[in-house]
Amino acid sequence: MIRARQLAAIAAATAILVGACGGAATSAPSPAASAPATSAQPSAAPSEAASASPAPSIDTTPVTITVWDYYGESTPVKPALAGFQKAYPWITVDYQALDWDSMNTKFTVGVSSGDAPDVATLDMTWIPTLAANGALEDLTAMSGGQLNGKPIADQYTKGALDAMTYGGSFVTMLFDFDTYALYYRADLLEKKGIAVPTTWDELRAAAKKLAESSKGSGKPDRYLYAIRPNTFHFSQFLFEGGGTILNADNTKAAFNSDAGIAGVDIQKAILDDGSGLYWPDANNDLIPAITAEQVAMFADGPYYMGLLRTGVPAQSGKWKVAINPYSKQPGSYLGGTGLGIPVLAKHKDAAWLFIQYMLRPEQQVGVFTYAGAAPATTAALESPELTKADPYFGGQAPFKVFLDSMATSTHFPYVGAWTEIDTFITESLQTALLGKATAKAALDDAASQADAALAK
Amino acid sequence: MTLRRRFRGASAGYLLIAPALAATVIFLVIPMVVSAWWSLTHYNGIKPAEFVGLQNYLDVLSNARFQKAFENTIAFVILGMGIGPALGLGSALLLDRALRLRGLFRSAFFLPTMTSLVVVATIWKFLYSDAGIINAVIGIFGLPGVNWLSDTTTALPAVVVTSIWQGFGFETVVFLAALQSIPRNYYEAASIDGAGRWAKFRWVTLPGLRPTILFVYVIGIIGSFQTYDQIFVMTNGGPIQATRTIVFDLVDRFNRLDLGGASAVAYILVVFLAVLSYLQLRIGEERD
Repeated sequence: MIRARQLAAIAAATAILVGACGGAATSAPSPAASAPATSAQPSAAPSEAASASPAPSIDTTPVTITVWDYYGESTPVKPALAGFQKAYPWITVDYQALDWDSMNTKFTVGVSSGDAPDVATLDMTWIPTLAANGALEDLTAMSGGQLNGKPIADQYTKGALDAMTYGGSFVTMLFDFDTYALYYRADLLEKKGIAVPTTWDELRAAAKKLAESSKGSGKPDRYLYAIRPNTFHFSQFLFEGGGTILNADNTKAAFNSDAGIAGVDIQKAILDDGSGLYWPDANNDLIPAITAEQVAMFADGPYYMGLLRTGVPAQSGKWKVAINPYSKQPGSYLGGTGLGIPVLAKHKDAAWLFIQYMLRPEQQVGVFTYAGAAPATTAALESPELTKADPYFGGQAPFKVFLDSMATSTHFPYVGAWTEIDTFITESLQTALLGKATAKAALDDAASQADAALAK
Repeated sequence: MTLRRRFRGASAGYLLIAPALAATVIFLVIPMVVSAWWSLTHYNGIKPAEFVGLQNYLDVLSNARFQKAFENTIAFVILGMGIGPALGLGSALLLDRALRLRGLFRSAFFLPTMTSLVVVATIWKFLYSDAGIINAVIGIFGLPGVNWLSDTTTALPAVVVTSIWQGFGFETVVFLAALQSIPRNYYEAASIDGAGRWAKFRWVTLPGLRPTILFVYVIGIIGSFQTYDQIFVMTNGGPIQATRTIVFDLVDRFNRLDLGGASAVAYILVVFLAVLSYLQLRIGEERD
């Protein structure tokens, strides 16, 4: 009897585990929140079809495209669907809302099982891995270099064009951009007579003056500078010190240079002063700490404009944005959200029409108005909607600061091992900032791991 | 009886198990076979698989991050299975004696088990936060707060506590059911023989619970080795790999489209679990 039970238990364990691995990759993911298809059947809208006046070369055979969107409730994608279906009535959109946390895994499952969506919003930091594995369609070949009838090269900044390019071809179209600037509590700086910091030394001094102890213990616990141990924030300090993540031909790590070490040391110094709040990514966004007045300064991207407005309305009028303080030169990572077509997508032509529609100026402005994020195309960046005074930011037009920041920002290296390198850097930052090793030792260790990953 | 007549007699049975058998083959056996093949290849799901023999297994076993994940998983299993079932047994013994409100307590203990692990992990993440209730309680005694999930020494135990809290209700209910199935006359006989409370527990309760204990440990250890959800939500494998587990390592490889490496990790885990389960059952068998 025991033999039968043994076999059953072992077989069950085997089946559960291996089935979980193999099964995950052979079955389609079920999106966490799947919205019903917003249907606009071609036959039901003849007048709209007529108004769309498709070019003779466009195939108007009815199709349904699947769109995966990770923006969440404030998405600019969903509100644009009605207009898209009016413009292209033969294309039905099966819109599926997913969350950012699980999107990468779901997309990986989708492309590796041949059940990918036709269009997906993709974090630009995922692009290197996806592109290096051949998971994304070559958009240069597909588009002929044209977007909405104009050259793609004329519709983005140089930094954005670089970020969209892998192996000499466009593999994604940037939909929103992310670049960092300094968010600060203008009311507190003014109250304490502190000038907006422009250098690292001034940043450290300002953080010291701002920090307060609310419990009388002497240990500051409010109005702190948020220290985020991740590659996004580290690369900002690295670039500001004149460093790079990899060498010129992307074959060796370079982030353990003097610039990298100085970038970690300044953050550690702020923590050691007691004026920094260590906030790892596992804690999610800063909104709870900001609401609790724990944070008075932090560096982050334009999407935080929207997060602050909706998440901390009580602090309206108190925040402002400035170019991040730097040691040698301004700098930031450049990322954001790209729209991509998986190489195994079933309806690529319709998917490309969808991407083009989403990149029209009027839809791009929606990135700002709905999501509070930064649209990527130059036409949208010129919209007056983006540069008007914002009462939440004390009448400042914060978007202009991010535009300036974008001019000096650099995207992460496009190498297949990027995900691993990102992890090594993040762990080295945690090691150094938690005082487990010096910045040099931690970064050197990460660099040797990165070199090994690059050599594969 | 001819083979044909025997089959005809059993045909209804075959017909009834056919759907389950088909589902098992499609959703378990085929993926297992596919995964075994992938584990012997370099494969990213897009380009054709390239046969590399046992290279993925060698790479995984010599990888420092996998070794760290393996150590963490073992620590997770030892801590979790060392405390969880004991707590479950303790609460079951208390509930077995309490005649009033037994149903209420049983339901209350079982509630976390029915709650999504992601929800449980999120709740505990708030409890462990700098300004969370745990640090607030510590502060009452004048002690400094602890960065529970950001400190390499406390992160793994903190996640284990969450898992124990979520799972011990299941163990309580299972043990309680087993306790109530032990014939009461065994205890009466032990009392007549002069057995005290400890002697009754040692010589009546524990032998009566042995199959249940074996069940709880086999299921619990397999579950602990597959820990992922609470790690993903609470620490994302950090800080500095302090909570990186084997399944976390597997998913990490999968996200990098290293399907060969991910499959190799899955099979290493399966072989390890199969051996462990076999040993557990053999030990249980010998004691029976």
